[in-house]
Amino acid sequence: MNPALLPLFVAAPLISSAITALVPVRALQRLLMIGTPLATSVAGAGLIAVHRDESVLATSIGGFPAGIAIPFVSDTLSAVMLAVTGLTTAIVLLFAVRTGEDHLRFFPALVLMLLAGVNGALLTGDIFNLFVFVEVMLLPSYALLAMTGTWRRLGVGRLFLVVNLVTSSVFLIGIGLLYAAAGTVNLAALAGAGADDSVVLGVAVVLLALIVKAGAVPVHGWLPRSYPATSATVMALFAGLHSKVALVAVFRIFSMVFGEDGRELTPVLTALVILSIVIGSWSSFGENTIRRILSFQMVAGVGHILIAVALGSLAAYRAGLIYMVHHILTMGVLVLAAGAVEHTYGTGHLVRLADLLRREKALAWIVGLALISLVGFPPSSGFVGKVALVVAAAEAPAVTAGLLIGAIVLGSVISLMAMQRLWHDVFWGPKMTLYRPRSAIHLKRDESKDKLVPLPDSVRIPLADLVPAGILLALSLAFFVGAGPVWDIATRAVQDLVDVGPYVEAVMSR
Amino acid sequence: MILSLTIGVLVAGGVYLLLQRSLVRIAFGVGVLSHAVNLFLLTAGVPAYRGEPLANRMDPATAADPLPQAFVLTAIVITLAVTVFLLALAVVGRNDDTTRMPETGEERDR
Repeated sequence: MNPALLPLFVAAPLISSAITALVPVRALQRLLMIGTPLATSVAGAGLIAVHRDESVLATSIGGFPAGIAIPFVSDTLSAVMLAVTGLTTAIVLLFAVRTGEDHLRFFPALVLMLLAGVNGALLTGDIFNLFVFVEVMLLPSYALLAMTGTWRRLGVGRLFLVVNLVTSSVFLIGIGLLYAAAGTVNLAALAGAGADDSVVLGVAVVLLALIVKAGAVPVHGWLPRSYPATSATVMALFAGLHSKVALVAVFRIFSMVFGEDGRELTPVLTALVILSIVIGSWSSFGENTIRRILSFQMVAGVGHILIAVALGSLAAYRAGLIYMVHHILTMGVLVLAAGAVEHTYGTGHLVRLADLLRREKALAWIVGLALISLVGFPPSSGFVGKVALVVAAAEAPAVTAGLLIGAIVLGSVISLMAMQRLWHDVFWGPKMTLYRPRSAIHLKRDESKDKLVPLPDSVRIPLADLVPAGILLALSLAFFVGAGPVWDIATRAVQDLVDVGPYVEAVMSR
Repeated sequence: MILSLTIGVLVAGGVYLLLQRSLVRIAFGVGVLSHAVNLFLLTAGVPAYRGEPLANRMDPATAADPLPQAFVLTAIVITLAVTVFLLALAVVGRNDDTTRMPETGEERDR
C-alpha cells in the first residue's frame, strides 16, 4: 500500500463531516455518519494485513525533509486501534440513530470531526501534532456534551472543558520542555532519548497530561463526574475513544523514549496502577446510577491498562493492548445497555429500577454476560485480558509482581461485589411500579414536567435498541473464542511497539 | 530571567482566576494561563533576540528557530476557539456570582 494514503484517515472523516453539515438530507447524513467509521475500521483491518509483510508505513506531510516534517506512521498497533475504534464508533452511532440523537443539527458532523481527531492522534508520529489532534478530538466533544441540551449537562460541560483546557496547557508546557531539551518533538527522533535527564522531565510532563486525559487515579475526578451526565451515546463514544487514545499515546511515547530502561518511573506508575484499580473498583460501590458505577469501572480499567507501561516488557504491552480492546468492547456493551434502559424507563437509578429480569430477558442476558466480562470470568474478553495481565505481571521482580497481581485480584473481587449489587438492584427485587415515559435522553426535555407515572406491564425495551449492545457483546465473546489469533495479532502489534528500529527507519528514510 | 518571572506571574494569575467561581473569570484565567504557556514555548527556542526566520533571506545562524513560533501560532488558534466556546457557555449559564453553588448538576441527579 502507498503510505501517502495514510492522511486519508483524517481527510475522509473531515470531508464527510463537512458534507453532513452542509447537506441537510437525513438519509445521507446517517449513511456518512455510520459509513465513515465503518470504512475506517475496514481500512484499519486492511492495514493489519498489510503490516504482516511490511511492519511500518510512514509518510511525511508537505514534503519537508525527514525529522522536520510531520510524519504519519502506521504500524500494527495503530492499525488495530483504528479498526477497533472505528467499529465501536459505528456501532455506538447505530444506537444514536435509535435514540434520535442524530436528528440534532450538527450531531453527525461533530461525531465525524471527533473521529478525524481520533484517527489523526493514532497515526501521527509527532508529539505536537498529537496535541493538535487531541484538541481536534476534544473540541467537538465539548459541543457534544453541551448540545444534548439541559442545564445540568451544560454545568458538566464546564467541568470537562476546564479540566481539559488546563491539561492541554500542561501538555504544551511538556512539549516546550521537551523541545528545549531535545530540539525535536518528532517521536522517531526521540527514540532512546530517555538517557538524558532533561528529556525525561519534558516527557514526564507530557505523560502527566496524557494520564489526566486518560483518567487514572489520583487525577480521575473529572471523569466519573462528567461522563455519566452526558447521554449514553456520547458517554459510550467518549469511553471508547478519549481515554483510549491518550493511553495509546502513553504506550507509544513511553516505549519510544525509554525503551527497556525507563524503569526509574516504575515505582510511580505501579502506585498509580494499584490506586486506580483499587479506588476505581471500590468507588463503584458507592454510586447509585448504572452509568456512574460504570464510569468508576472505567477508572479501574485505566489502571489495568497502565500496567503495560509500569512493567514495560513485551508481555506487559501485549496484555495492556488486549485489555484495552476488551475494555472498549465491554464498556460499550454496558453503557449502551444502560442507555437502552434509560431510553425506555426514563431512569438509570438503582433505586427506581427493579425486577428487570422478569420484564427484559434479552437485556438480562446482555448485561449479565457483559458484567461477567467486566469482572473477568470466561467465556468473555475480560478473562483473556486479565489472564494476560497476570501472566505479564508474574514476570516482574517479586515485590512488584506480588503488588500488581494482588491489586488485580483485589480489584476483581471488589468489582464482582459491586456488580452483584448492580444486578441485584436492577434485575431482582419487587415489581417496578413507576417510570418516566419520555426518554431520559430525549432532547429539549422540560425537566419540571416529566413526572413518574404508573408503569404498564406492556412496556418493554424495543429489541432494536439492544442490537448495538448485542453486536458489541458478540464481539467480546468472539474475542474469547478467537483468543489465539487475537493473541498473535497483539503480539505482532507490541513487537512493533517495543522494537523501535523499523519505526525510526521508516520515518527517517522518508 | 525577566521572561521566566513573567511566565511565573502569568501562571500564578491564571491559576488564581481558574479557581474563581464565575465562568467569565475562568475564561480570563485560561487566557492568562495559555499566554504563559505560549511564552514558555517561545523560550524553548532561543530567548534572546534573533532575526526573522525567512528562508533564503536570513543566515540560519542568526535567524530565530521557527518551530516554537509555529507551535505558539497553533496554540493561539486553539485557545481562541476554546475561549469563544467558554464565553458562550458563560453567557447561557446562570449567574455564578449570585447562585450559591455552581451548577454542576450533581445535586439534582435523577
